[in-house]
Amino acid sequence: MINLAQKDIQHTLGKFIVTAMGVGMLLGIVLIMIGVYRGMMVDAEILLQDLNADLWIVQENTLGPFAEASRVHEDLKNTLRSIDGVDKTAALTFQNLQLPAATKPVRVVAVGFDPFGDINAINKKRLIAGHGLTKDHFQIVVSLKTGFKLGDTITLGHDNYHVVGITKGTVASGGDLLVYVSLKDAQRLQFLYSNARIRNDRARGISGGGDTKMVNAIIATLKPGFDVDEVAKNIKRWKHLAVFTRAQEHTILTKNLIEKASKQIGMFTAILVLVSTIIIALIIYTMTLEKMKEISIMKLIGIPNTLIIKMIVQETLLLGVLAFIFGNGFSHLIAGNFPKRVVLETPDALALFAVVIIASIFASFIGVRKVIHADPAAAIGG
Amino acid sequence: MKKQSIRVENLVKSFGKGENFVDVINGASFSVDKGELVALVAPSGAGKTTLLMMIGCVMEPTSGQIYLGDEKVYDGQWLAKDTRSIRREKIGFIFQAHYLIPFLNVIENVTLLPQTNGLTKEASEAKAMEILEYFDIGDKAHAMPSQLSGGQNQRVAIARALANSPEIILADEPTAALDMDRSTDVVKMLKRIAIEQDVAVIMVTHDEAMLPLCDRVLKIEDKKVISIKTADEHII
Repeated sequence: MINLAQKDIQHTLGKFIVTAMGVGMLLGIVLIMIGVYRGMMVDAEILLQDLNADLWIVQENTLGPFAEASRVHEDLKNTLRSIDGVDKTAALTFQNLQLPAATKPVRVVAVGFDPFGDINAINKKRLIAGHGLTKDHFQIVVSLKTGFKLGDTITLGHDNYHVVGITKGTVASGGDLLVYVSLKDAQRLQFLYSNARIRNDRARGISGGGDTKMVNAIIATLKPGFDVDEVAKNIKRWKHLAVFTRAQEHTILTKNLIEKASKQIGMFTAILVLVSTIIIALIIYTMTLEKMKEISIMKLIGIPNTLIIKMIVQETLLLGVLAFIFGNGFSHLIAGNFPKRVVLETPDALALFAVVIIASIFASFIGVRKVIHADPAAAIGG
Repeated sequence: MKKQSIRVENLVKSFGKGENFVDVINGASFSVDKGELVALVAPSGAGKTTLLMMIGCVMEPTSGQIYLGDEKVYDGQWLAKDTRSIRREKIGFIFQAHYLIPFLNVIENVTLLPQTNGLTKEASEAKAMEILEYFDIGDKAHAMPSQLSGGQNQRVAIARALANSPEIILADEPTAALDMDRSTDVVKMLKRIAIEQDVAVIMVTHDEAMLPLCDRVLKIEDKKVISIKTADEHII
């Protein structure tokens, strides 16, 4: 039996492929949107994975440095070690900075940690050039995408920092690139007031020049065999601090912080899928309208509806499949050019494929309806 | 004695109700024999196409009877559940323009209906080639309609109408888009088909020059159909 869909597509192959490419680009954007969401989830977990801490100890009644302002004393890292079950601790600072670059400033999150402490914040697997921090002052490890090279000098505050290491794939939960400086430098950058400010404070009767022995969080690892919730409870009770387990911190990063952004992306994705469905439906409707004379003739000479409907449905499905293939290729082609991480996952692509197929079937109903209502008498009388 | 292929009795077709009521055909009765080429003439709007659509089981009459071959297909209502199967099995249609399916080549256009009727691809193609050769367009079997001239396309359209071995051919102004020479060729071809294939052919036409080539003329007059011999004058 002659396959009408195959013949029709062969006849207008160029037009069909261009149409599929157009719809495919739209589907590619849908995949990119999903990829941006996945990228946000991955970004949010990078610091957690690299620091590999069991507990995050932050200022009481706050959610910690990623969600709210948090300040605790640095020396807590020592007293926390005395709590039963705590193995290693480290004091950390997190600070947004604009690194001065040749063209325009690069926005980064600076992680301050003690290079000689128990926990090193730099994941050696991500270090692609140079080395980690080896001194207490004026060294900086930057992310590759900042554009700085080994040996470059970056001026921060009143001091010059030398780039001693380059990392790859290190970003904060918001997608900003990470740089690493020593805790002492980070504390100076974040908490030390300028001379003018100190003089002004003194004139107001305020003593001191800013407490530089503060940090944003203390992280701790536990000795084997200790229950993380029990240890967290102890710290909360005796030290009047907020303590989050790794799982809770994960929830803060992936739910609290990016919940609205992910909902936003979800809305965009849903709208794009809907628009794609409408466009496929319109294309099929137009393709069917273009063939109405032929459809009327086929009905008039006795070709059954099933054969004509089969043609419409097959063409719609093929359009959907081709558009998906183009869209998938398109998304992989452009994913690397986005400023933020885009993670394209096969299950997401398969889910979209299923949605496209269902959408195509719905879209074909419009064409099928036209076929059913096509008047064979329209073929007679010119 | 020739066997009747089409018989119409007291056929009525009206549209609308009340003030909008219009009866286009009112009590038309006529028959067409196998092997006969009959022209159907009438002024524009007199009901030629309506009558053709009723005989072709495309438009339902208001009342009357229609017989196609030995089968009564209409008697106040369609007697078959699926009028499309009657068209598929008994009737071949030829239109003003060729109306070939543009995305099918010549042989696919001709074999589409026989294959739908259950004939194998090989058998339908063999038969199609036979018909195409009959019309001297066998060498165009794999050409697309867009690659053929108007006359060649009209021949393919006639070949398509013959492909399902119909008992009746209904031609709706098949020469309207052709020049005089080609029109004459087409009508002669229809005459040849009527005789050699033993089918009844009704051809709607406005072209007086074609009437002498037909066996008979059916004229719609006062909403009825009258039969006139082609030798008579003042047909239209």
